[in-house]
Order: sequence, then C-alpha cells, then structure tokens
Amino acid sequence: MKETPLSNCERDFLLKAIEEKKRLDGRQTYDYRKIKIKFGTDYGCCFVDLGLTRVMAQVSGELVAPKESRPNEGIMFFNIELSPMAAPTFEQGRQSELSVKLNRQLERCLRNSKCIDTESLCVVSGEKVWQIRVDVHMLNHDGNLMDAASIAAITALCHFRRPDVSIQGDEVTVYSPEERDPIPLSIYHMPISVSFSFFQQGTYLLVDPCEREERVMDGLLMIAMNKHREICSIQSSGGIMLLKEQVMRCSKIASVKVSEITELVVKALENDKKARKAGEKCGFAESLPQERITALKVGKTPVEVMDVTEQANDIVQKAESCSLTVHTRVPSPLVPVPGVGQVGQGQQTTWGLEEEEEEEEEEEEVDEEEESDNSSEQDKKVTKMEEEDSRGDVVEISDSEEEEVVILHPETADKALKNTGSSFHQKGAAPSKQKRKK
Amino acid sequence: MAADMRLPTIRKPVSLCSGERKDLVVPGDVITSDTGFMRGHGTYVDEDKLTASVAGEVQRVDKLICVRPLKTRFNGEVGDVVVGRITEVQQKRWKVETNSRLDSVLLLSSVNLPGGELRRRSAEDELTMRQYLLEGDLISAEVQSVFSDGALSLHTRSLKYGKLGQGVLVQLSPSLIKRQKTHFHNLPCGASIILGNNGFVWLYATPSNEEEEAGGFYTSLEPVSLSDREVISRLRNCLLALAAHKVLLYDTSVLYCYESSLQHQVKDILKPEVMEEIVMLTQQKLLEQEG
Amino acid sequence: MAGLELLSDQGYRLDGRKATELRKVQARMGVFAQADGSAYLEQGNTKALAVVYGPHEMRGSRSRTLHDRAVINCQYSMATFSTAERKRRPHGDRKSTEMSLHLKQTFEAAVMTQLYPRSQIDIYVKILQSDGGNYSVCVNAATLAVIDAGIPMRDYVCACTVGFVDETPLADLCYAEESGGVSSLALALLPRGGQIALLQMDARLHQDHLETLIEAAMTACKGVSKVLDQVVRQHLEEVSMLTGE
Repeated sequence: MKETPLSNCERDFLLKAIEEKKRLDGRQTYDYRKIKIKFGTDYGCCFVDLGLTRVMAQVSGELVAPKESRPNEGIMFFNIELSPMAAPTFEQGRQSELSVKLNRQLERCLRNSKCIDTESLCVVSGEKVWQIRVDVHMLNHDGNLMDAASIAAITALCHFRRPDVSIQGDEVTVYSPEERDPIPLSIYHMPISVSFSFFQQGTYLLVDPCEREERVMDGLLMIAMNKHREICSIQSSGGIMLLKEQVMRCSKIASVKVSEITELVVKALENDKKARKAGEKCGFAESLPQERITALKVGKTPVEVMDVTEQANDIVQKAESCSLTVHTRVPSPLVPVPGVGQVGQGQQTTWGLEEEEEEEEEEEEVDEEEESDNSSEQDKKVTKMEEEDSRGDVVEISDSEEEEVVILHPETADKALKNTGSSFHQKGAAPSKQKRKK
Repeated sequence: MAADMRLPTIRKPVSLCSGERKDLVVPGDVITSDTGFMRGHGTYVDEDKLTASVAGEVQRVDKLICVRPLKTRFNGEVGDVVVGRITEVQQKRWKVETNSRLDSVLLLSSVNLPGGELRRRSAEDELTMRQYLLEGDLISAEVQSVFSDGALSLHTRSLKYGKLGQGVLVQLSPSLIKRQKTHFHNLPCGASIILGNNGFVWLYATPSNEEEEAGGFYTSLEPVSLSDREVISRLRNCLLALAAHKVLLYDTSVLYCYESSLQHQVKDILKPEVMEEIVMLTQQKLLEQEG
Repeated sequence: MAGLELLSDQGYRLDGRKATELRKVQARMGVFAQADGSAYLEQGNTKALAVVYGPHEMRGSRSRTLHDRAVINCQYSMATFSTAERKRRPHGDRKSTEMSLHLKQTFEAAVMTQLYPRSQIDIYVKILQSDGGNYSVCVNAATLAVIDAGIPMRDYVCACTVGFVDETPLADLCYAEESGGVSSLALALLPRGGQIALLQMDARLHQDHLETLIEAAMTACKGVSKVLDQVVRQHLEEVSMLTGE
C-alpha cells in the first residue's frame, strides 16, 4: 500500500510547531518518549516500547559451521522484519529501502562495533561455532524504529543465555538448561543508537522523532554510542546538508542520551534477574524513566475536551479494575493510552521508585499536599463515575426511538455541563502542579 | 575475411579554430557578486552571489547571465523543428520522445487530418488515431508551446511536417545542431536532410513529386534506388564523423564533409584516421568560405 | 591482520604514503557516446565507471513520479572480477543496495532536482577494481558524470574515507588499511560551503576524536575536489575549443 501523503495544512502545522520549539506530544526538543523494557518468559526475548513504537527482539542460537575466512569466530546475524502489522505501508517479504537501511544500520551498530565477543562463540575451531541470530520485529510504527530496534536488540543479547556445551574428544555435548545453567554472551559494551531529525534544511533539530515528525523531516542522523562515549557508528540519511558543528552538537547530545538509556537497560536487566531469582512468574519487568519536569509542564496548557473524555474513560477503567487504591499518584494529565502497558501496571516495582529519588527532594514537601489533593480527586472521580453510570443508563433508554428527542436534550445538556465541570476540575489541578514545581 | 585492427593511440583532437578565451565555469564557481544581474539557466543565487550550477560557457545578454552546458538534453523553444518518435497513443494526444527531459505531446487538434485544414475533430477521429500515427512512428514537427514543467507541445500543421517514411535517423547531441532559418534541406548530392533541433537528424531520398498529400500521413513505400541509398549512408557516416569531432552541423558543413569524403569508400569513413582527415578538410573548407 | 603496522614510526603508511596524502586520482569525462554523461575515475587502484542518463521521462512505475522535482535513481554494482574473490552477484545484495541508497541520497542533496519536475535521472556506477574507498570513488566518478551530462548541481560532491590509527587520521584508505580494523569514516562534502551530504562511520571511536577525524576528512575531500576541478576544466577547454564557432 502506498503511503497516504500528509495533508498540506498538517505539514505546515507540524513545521510551524517545530519552529516554535513545540512538539505534538509536549516533549522538549531533546526529550525521548517513555521507554519501557519488558522481557518474555524465555531468555533473549525483549519488548521495547518507545512511546507508541513497539518492537520485539528475539535472540536465538544454533551450532553451525563457521565461515571459511573466520574459522574460530561465531557468526552474528541480524534481521529486522518490517511486517504490515506495524504500519500498512510496510510490505511483507519485500526488501524496501527502509528495511535495508535499518538492517544495515543495526549490523553496523552491533556487529562492526565488535560489542560481542565472537571468538567466545567458537566451539570447535573450523567446525562448530554458535550462530547467534537476532530477529527484530516491528510491532507498531510510531517513528524512530532504529532507536527502538537497537535498544531491543542489545537488551535481548544481554538477556540471552546460550546452552552450555562441553567437548570430549570429537564429541560435542549440548546441555539442556536443566542439566547445566545456560551461559550469557560476553558483551564488551552496549552501543545504542540515537536518532536526530532535521527540519528546514537543518535549522531545527529534534531527538527521537515520532512518526508524524518523521514524515515532515528533511533528513536523519543516527549516532550509535556506548556509555564510554565511544561512537560505534554514524549514519546520515535523507538529502540534507549538515555542518560539522551540527554533527558535533549531536554527538554531545547522543552521549547524554545513551548514558541514560544504558542505565535504564541495566536496571531492567537487574530487575528481571531479581525477579527470576525470586522465582516469581518471571517476565514483564517494566521500566519507566523518571518523570521529567518537562512532562509536568503539560499541565499548564489548557486541557482539551478530547483529553477529558479520554480521562473519563480511563477512570472508568480504573474503577472497574479496582486499582484505584494502588495508584496513589496521578503523575500528569497525560493519560496512558488504553491497551498499552496494562501488563504489570498494578505492581509498581521498587527500583522504579528508586529512580525517582533524585526528584524526591523536591517532591517530598509537596507529597502530602498532593496526596490530599489526590484523595479529593479520587472522590471526584468516584462521583463522576456515578454520573457516568447514570449517563450510561440514559443512553440505553434512548435506544427506543420515539423517546429519542425527549431524552437527547437533557443528555447533551448534561454532557456539556459535565465537560465544563471536568475541564474546570482540570484547571483546578493545573495550578496545584505549578505549585509543586516551585 | 580481412579484419581491420588497430592499436589504441591517443589522438589529438583536430582543431583549426584558434579558440579565443571564453568564460568557462564549473559548478560552484561564483560568476559575479554584483546583484544587478539576472539569474538565467545554469545558475543559482547563493548568499547574494550568482553561482554557476553547470560546467560550460557563460553567456551574457544585457543583464541576463546564463551558463550553457557543453552537452545537455534538448531544451525546446517555440518554433524549433524536432524529429521524434511516438511512444504512446493516449486520448486525444500522442506522446513523442524528442530527447527532451519529458516526453513531448502532440495533440490531435494540432495535426492536419486528411480532408482540409478546418475539419472538426470528431469522436471517430479519436478512435482512429492509431491509423494516423502508431507507436514507433517517426515524425517531424515544430514546437508549438512549452508547458510549465518543461514538456513540449508539438504541432504538424504544415505540409512539411508529418510522418517520416523511408530514411535514416541519426541521434546526436542537440548542442551540435546549429540554429538556422530552415532545418529542411534538399542537398545537391541527391538526398534531403532534416536537422532537428533536438539532435535527431533525418536523412531521406529527395521526393520526386513535390505535391504530397495533405498532412503527410501518406508514406511512400516505393523502392529507393541504390545510388540514393549510398548517398544516404555516406551522409550518415559523415554526420557521425562530424559529431565525433564536435563540429557544428548545418547544411554547409554537412555538404562540405560529404564532398571531402568522396574519395573514400562509405564504410571507411568511420575509421579514426579517415575521419580525422575528412573533418580536417571540411574545417578548412569552412574557414575558406568564412574568410 | 594482526601485527600489521599501519603507520610506521617514521609516519609512513603501508603503501608509502604520508598520513594525509591521497592516492593518485586520474579521471576522464565523456567516455561513452550513448549516455548523457559518463566518467571514468581511478583513485589509486580503485577504479570506477559512472554513467548518467537523463533527465528523462519516468520509466517503469509511474507512481514514483514526483510533481515538484526529479527522481534520482542510482544503481551501484561491482564487477564480478573487482575483488580478490570472485563475486557471485554484482548487485542486489544488501551491501550494494545500501550503497545505491547512499549514492542516491548524496546526489539528491547536491543536484538541483527541483528544476526537473516529473523527470527521472539515472546514475549507474560500476566498480571495476576494488581497493578500498569504494563509496568515495563512486561519488567522485558520479559527480564527473553528472557534470558531463549538464545537470545543474550546487557544487561538486567529493567524497573521501578517513581512518584513525595511533591518534592520527589517515586520509583515503586502501583495502589493506580498511580491512585492518581501522575505524573508518566516509564523508561526502560540498567543498565550497563545507556542507556534509553524507556521513557514515563504522567501528569504535571515542567522541573526543570525532572532530579531528571529520576535520581531516574535510581536508581530504577538498583535496579531491581540486583534482576533479582540474579534470573538469581541462575537459571543458578541450571540448569548447572544438566547438568554437
């Protein structure tokens, strides 16, 4: 399917917003979206959410004959699969330009930087080596596939355990995980890719572009780095003219971002390890980056009616799942989109709190306030929920056609009232947030 | 069969013209930083400086500055004579390949149909378009107008234009064709030539009867005599020789080259050393004529 | 290739060059009559042939037509005999597809495509002998071919690879150096404005060294541009002498 072009006014709007240093989702120019790293029950399976972009990486290994030119090195194989599941424009089974670009970039980022000790993957020189295969599947495309793929791939590689083998004479025995503990790969460093998009011939620069932004951008610069500030690969793409200064600036930003993301990945891995050790039903360890102050800024902007209905829906959901008691904080009016990140939302992990420690100093004073705020908010919610319910009843009645006219009127009036009420409630919440920031 | 072999040698280009210095520029060269000039083809403005975007010769007409590249695709202008090939038959129009950057268009309304100039184009005419011109047919035409995207609109509303029958097409660079009052010549050597501005040259036997049928959709299929065919082949090789040495093509230069080649066999003309000799002679003759 | 000394104590490289020295560049323009533009370029032992067709009417799928500018279509291929091992597929594998993409991107940045709406420009490049720096040689050859075709460009595009050994940037790597595990950086530059049309780097390099490496690459590119400039001017003079009216 051919990509439907962006309407001109949408394009203009996006570019204008970028000119004014604003982004659709309220991020600042150098902000990443929320990153969540989860693991599957198997070793070497990793899901990464970057905002709405969602990718899955699966690492697998098998014993094969090595390449003739490199008889005592294991083989690394990377493949990024762009299925039409992620976006309708992706075509199955065809090597599109994008897929070649992503595949090569991932190869360059992980293989050419020699982050994995391939020599340790050799079992019998010239005869048997491990072939490690990394399959990255795009599940949802909302921009910046490369970064998500690189995080997923390296995390999955770190998470992967290969079966232990022993050699006796000519015989190679592969042990099942029950017999001997599987062995992790030896990884020297973790290269992580950071994407920068350029607009208006390189005048404006954004980190972590979302899908919409990608469609209006002029060009992209991908820098893969590890936390030791070593650049593993650089790749510019799209017809843009870069200046040396811009590249240097990007590399500086990248180093900061990479150290943040690496920390996150390490924490996610540790967390998973702990969970597994504790014998919990492992998997789905979830890591959320610390709440940024910039995220709270959103509170200042007048909240649209759309948001409110969404929030209302969300509240209904929450009420239904009885999770209200668990959630003591409502971080921001940015509602998590329903259907995403529901798994494990109930059990807040301890380390996630740790991460917020830095902010705690600021927050501690306000926390009590907030809590009282929250409790009142909850009250409101409960009442609102009742309203919602009652509304639901009305709608049901309205199904009968004759009475329709009669019922619709009070209903709409009711709705309008509710809207103003809730938006008022939002405005009420907003100043409290501003206070908190100070 | 005797094969002709030669070792590769570096051949000095033959030239008799003492080339006076021209203003040659390459892409990225600043032509002038004076803002009083107008930007023509082959230039762009970068930080208030007029900069060349192609490699070639700077031409100035009053305030307008252009750079003419040595070699380029055909840039049509209204009134140019072109020779082209039909690539597609569409509704009410033919698409014509003319060595331009986009295919040219020949509208059904801008051809002369048999049966008078002022005939109305009916739906039947649309259906029978293929009977007049088919994919692959060669035509001669004139540029009627240029569209905003650079595509050309052609017309054949004159008796001299229309479908081309028997003859030889030579494809050369458009920059080698000299602009002249007329591009149709009946050469005294017995053949006729259409020097299309787009670099396509059509050679054919001079028709005996001057009164052809209207529109020129009728093509004679009478056999062409051997002598005529020989003349045409000789002319074709002469054209290639001149083009190889980058000599401007017009009736005189072609004729002189033809005359100079008479002492050689037709098949020998394209041998490098013969080519050199012939072109040298031609250039001498041209200089004499000028002087 | 362990133990191979890429830079001797005296500051000489494997092939006897100094660190910043380029390989010998030789080039010719207008090697084919059929194409709109063509060029042949040798950089040391790497040899490439570039051919440009167009701008012409869109061929193949019409759906790729752009209404505001020309489409650039690139194909990079390596002759089967270009490398020590005989190549099975001259083009179509992932690496050459990527190379084609990069070439396309480089020339989209430099060629003034907006002058030719709804047209197509084809650039075909073939490596005849490969001895390192394939990408940069292709770009340099293609630049000459595009100029020969009379297609407007903002400036020359010059490309060069640079490596980094013992804290020293090495300009214009040959194959032995490229495969010797040097971190290499390929850069395509529009020399006049110092704009980078393409930047690509493999292997590890500390961030602090990036600037010196880019700097060295830019200097090397400017060196290449001087050579190309000479070639173009000479060609220009020769041809314009002939056509001289």
